[in-house]
Amino acid sequence: MKRMLPALLLLCAVMLSGCAHRELSKQERFLAASPRSILIVPVVNNSIDITASDYMLSTITIPLAERGYYVFPVHMVKRVLEDDGLADSSLVHSAPASRLCALFGADAVMYITIERWDARYMVFNTSVTLVLRYEIRDGKTDEVIWKNREYMVYNSDGGGGGGLAGLVAKAVTAAVTRAAPNYMPLARQASANSVSSYPGRGIPPGPYAIDKK
Amino acid sequence: MSSVVRLILGAVAVACMSGCASSRYEWNDYDTRLYEYYKTPTERDNFAEALREAILEGEPSGRVAPGIFAEYGYLMYEMGNSQAAIMYYQKEADRWPESRFFMNKMIAVAKNRMKKDPVKSKPAEIAPPAANTPETVNPSSNATKETVK
Repeated sequence: MKRMLPALLLLCAVMLSGCAHRELSKQERFLAASPRSILIVPVVNNSIDITASDYMLSTITIPLAERGYYVFPVHMVKRVLEDDGLADSSLVHSAPASRLCALFGADAVMYITIERWDARYMVFNTSVTLVLRYEIRDGKTDEVIWKNREYMVYNSDGGGGGGLAGLVAKAVTAAVTRAAPNYMPLARQASANSVSSYPGRGIPPGPYAIDKK
Repeated sequence: MSSVVRLILGAVAVACMSGCASSRYEWNDYDTRLYEYYKTPTERDNFAEALREAILEGEPSGRVAPGIFAEYGYLMYEMGNSQAAIMYYQKEADRWPESRFFMNKMIAVAKNRMKKDPVKSKPAEIAPPAANTPETVNPSSNATKETVK
């Protein structure tokens, strides 16, 4: 076991800096639809952490709006859907995008599903694994015009990750305790990564983007 | 001012713009405050206050983010202040043409409530004290139901 430690540490470092596994996007379809506005519907949570969906719904607006899109007010939308008898997010996710877009006058709908959100608390080490799935569907054709799968492992013992990932890992280490975990830094990073990191895989810049890269 | 100095200043400005262009809107910790509100529904006043500050800081320079006027308007509506709700919905619609369809709908909902119950719709400058019962957390449920369908 001791001999494996360096290899494990290296693996952690790679995961922290790289945030592995991302499917290729459907950029051509996206550009053809070129939505100006995106409606984010409540998050489907298949994980065991009940707070996960609140974290993801709270943090997705900023990176998506900064990317240059009109993002519908997520909280207001959630409430209006609830009042309309659509409190169950999996029910909302199964509704056609065109129907949802017609309700709000949106161009496209973003669906977020949390597949995994596990924290493991060990004696000297806390690790959090996130698996998130994102999909944007066109409000006219109901077609999937963008999707992404975010897989992240944050390990308080990772140490090796420099730059932003390292900072986030540190913040997570400090914040994720057994008593009252604060996943805000982690959720922010996941949302930012999903939308804008890595050219060619994030969402193309929208109509209000300053930087059209 | 010599042209050299001007050149340097220009270069600094460009460097700053490319380096600091990370945020084009005034968010005022929108994500954290919204999450706190979800965690503790009695924190609605704090969420409303954060939105109000974001608007105060962002409005003069046109840096109010998409959805912020609307979120604030909706909280005003929940607190029973239909007049303020309409005002902020209108601001959202004017700033973001993409929101117009939805905002017009919500303005109609708020106007409808004002007509039906003018006493309840009087502006309440200070938010009512937050209560724990689910009925008071979301008092608007019936009003919105009618027209969004």
